[in-house]
Amino acid sequence: MRRLFAFVLCLLREIGDENAYRRHLAAHGLAHSAEHWRSFFDAKARARYQRAKCC
Amino acid sequence: MQRLLGRLAWVLVSALGALCLGGIAIHRGEPINSIWLVLAGACTFLVGYRFYAGFIAAKVLCLDDRRATPAERLRDGHDFEPTNKWILFGHHFAAIAGPGPLVGPTLAAQFGYLPGTLWIILGAVICGAVQDFVVLFCSMRRNGKSLGQMAREELGRTGGVVAMIAVLAIMVILLAVVALVVVNALKDSPWGAFTIAATMPIAVLMGLMLRYWRPGKVLEVSLVGFVLVVAGVFGGQWVSRSAQFAPWFTFGALTLAACIVVYGFVASALPVWLLLAPRDYLSTFVKLGVVMLLAVGILAVRPQLQMAPLTRFIDGTGPIFAGKIFPFCFITIACGAISGFHSLISSGTSPKMIARESHALPVGYGSMLLEGFVALMAMIAACVLEPGVFFAVNSPAGIVGASPQAAVATITAWGFPVTADQMAHLARHVGEQTLFARTGGAPSLALGMAHIFARGVGGDAILGFWYHFAIMFEALFILTILDAGTRVGRFMLQDLLGHVYAPFHRIGWMPGVILASAAMVLAWGYFLFQGVQDPLGGINSLWPLFGIANQLLATIALCLCTTILIKLHRARYMGITLVPLAWLVAATFAASWQKIFSAVPRIGFLAQASQLQARLDAGLVVAAKIGETRTLIFNARLDAVMCGLFLVMSAVVLADSIRLWAGILAGSRDARTSEAPFVLSQWNAEEI
Repeated sequence: MRRLFAFVLCLLREIGDENAYRRHLAAHGLAHSAEHWRSFFDAKARARYQRAKCC
Repeated sequence: MQRLLGRLAWVLVSALGALCLGGIAIHRGEPINSIWLVLAGACTFLVGYRFYAGFIAAKVLCLDDRRATPAERLRDGHDFEPTNKWILFGHHFAAIAGPGPLVGPTLAAQFGYLPGTLWIILGAVICGAVQDFVVLFCSMRRNGKSLGQMAREELGRTGGVVAMIAVLAIMVILLAVVALVVVNALKDSPWGAFTIAATMPIAVLMGLMLRYWRPGKVLEVSLVGFVLVVAGVFGGQWVSRSAQFAPWFTFGALTLAACIVVYGFVASALPVWLLLAPRDYLSTFVKLGVVMLLAVGILAVRPQLQMAPLTRFIDGTGPIFAGKIFPFCFITIACGAISGFHSLISSGTSPKMIARESHALPVGYGSMLLEGFVALMAMIAACVLEPGVFFAVNSPAGIVGASPQAAVATITAWGFPVTADQMAHLARHVGEQTLFARTGGAPSLALGMAHIFARGVGGDAILGFWYHFAIMFEALFILTILDAGTRVGRFMLQDLLGHVYAPFHRIGWMPGVILASAAMVLAWGYFLFQGVQDPLGGINSLWPLFGIANQLLATIALCLCTTILIKLHRARYMGITLVPLAWLVAATFAASWQKIFSAVPRIGFLAQASQLQARLDAGLVVAAKIGETRTLIFNARLDAVMCGLFLVMSAVVLADSIRLWAGILAGSRDARTSEAPFVLSQWNAEEI
């Protein structure tokens, strides 16, 4: 049950880009800050919303 | 011993699947329990995944875990990132699951549950999942390239250009048809309109929270948004009962269409972080949650299907859309069985996140099977309604009559008994003024879902809450598609216009943003207004157009897949993509031809235009309706032109591909592919 919960949480974090943000911080050796989140999010959103969403 | 037990288990699963499929196919008379459909789907999908997909992975695509994937070779922490296969499976499924697998089966239920169910089950295994899987594989072997790029490189310039035009055209039709679904769900519904209106300030609040107050806390902010949206559903009930506020949120179809067009323009031009992205997160979480809830609800309640396996409308005279089972069932249900749009997702983010080649099997093939399951659940939700109620909700006034008495008399005469009192009682129960002529599929799907949920939790006392919760869920992600689609179309237009006037290339250049957004919104807005004004309800003409356009994209994707298989010297296995391609070409070409040239005015656009023109010429149209009739004639001809364009584009890509295949097989054409060279993976199995 605990593993299922951990999996669901991890999936939700992946869908919510929280995991991607952590990876971004780790890859660039940064600590979390509002400024870093905004720059990460803007780059991510720019790429994401240039692609069509599925029907 | 273990091997023997394993084989025995698969024999049992296969036998159970065959029994259930046979059961639903030959069952007549008494209502059938929905669990038959669930088991038939589950067993067929399991067998298809284990054996057919396993064969494709091992023998046709030769997935090789020693080969480094783009996620390993090009790892950058952003786009290219090796991801756990089940996480990626969920991510990919969330990306491919839109309103299509929910609305399509609901509309196709007019033929009865049998044709749609068989097409979903077999189509997903043989066609849709194969397309998604092979496109994902091809993109993964080409550093995550998009469908358009691959089509240009493998099929030639024609394929690439047609793919780009097809995507733009599909988006225009898709956005119009999903906007029409929302309009029909919310017209004259203060409860629904308030709930959906409330999601906009909630999304803005979420955007501000995420930007300034809780940066990075997407789950936390989405939870706050979800609580507020559910509060909005309760608030909608209060508004609908308030003599003062209910009129504020009671809109006719034309007003709602105008509101949605204005909204689409504003949302496309606003910064993404303020409205689109926070609602996208919320709608994805709600979508996954509701799909799970529906699955649990169906398993727990196991409702009886009230709809017959086959209805009288298999002869093509259906009130929801005209046309026989072949080809119209196969273009109406696109996303639950095969959807060209999925090929864009399979060549988007997912191939860049696959850690090992073998993971393409659950991600590409498995996700599509799950999507097929969602479509099956939508079919069940539509068919648990009494058929009379189903047709009263989904039939346009132009077919059954504008008054409740006329509508119930027509529908009862078809052999689906329903009374005006029954409909009035149901409408009161769910907090609506009327449920007649709520075309588009969303209201009847919401009714079916509400019936299932209410039998599980709360009973009839909270049927209204569940109905509006389901409407909120459908509208929430339809509006997200509307925002995102308009924005994507805007980018594509800016890119195209940039060749004429360079500043258009700058995404942030405000005149370009406004002009391109306006052009995109006007394009889909025109078709939306066309649907709203259509006396046949709009769905009759727009949904088949959307289905044809979507399957055109699938045709391009399958042509690409077949080409790559031939180039990889696996021509003897090309049947795995040729069979779905042949079926799609047959269905799409037949549907396009009939939509243009059928002599039946409800099917053929040209016949419809001729009939209206003849009435106009004969002076049978009253003076007040002459302008409207001329518009209808123009619209029918425009739809015929659109349909013809799709047909020609499919034919061009197909002919170009066949020429290429023949050349390669005869040895006169170059068989080089753009596949990335083999690089040995540096990872051990336990590292993934």
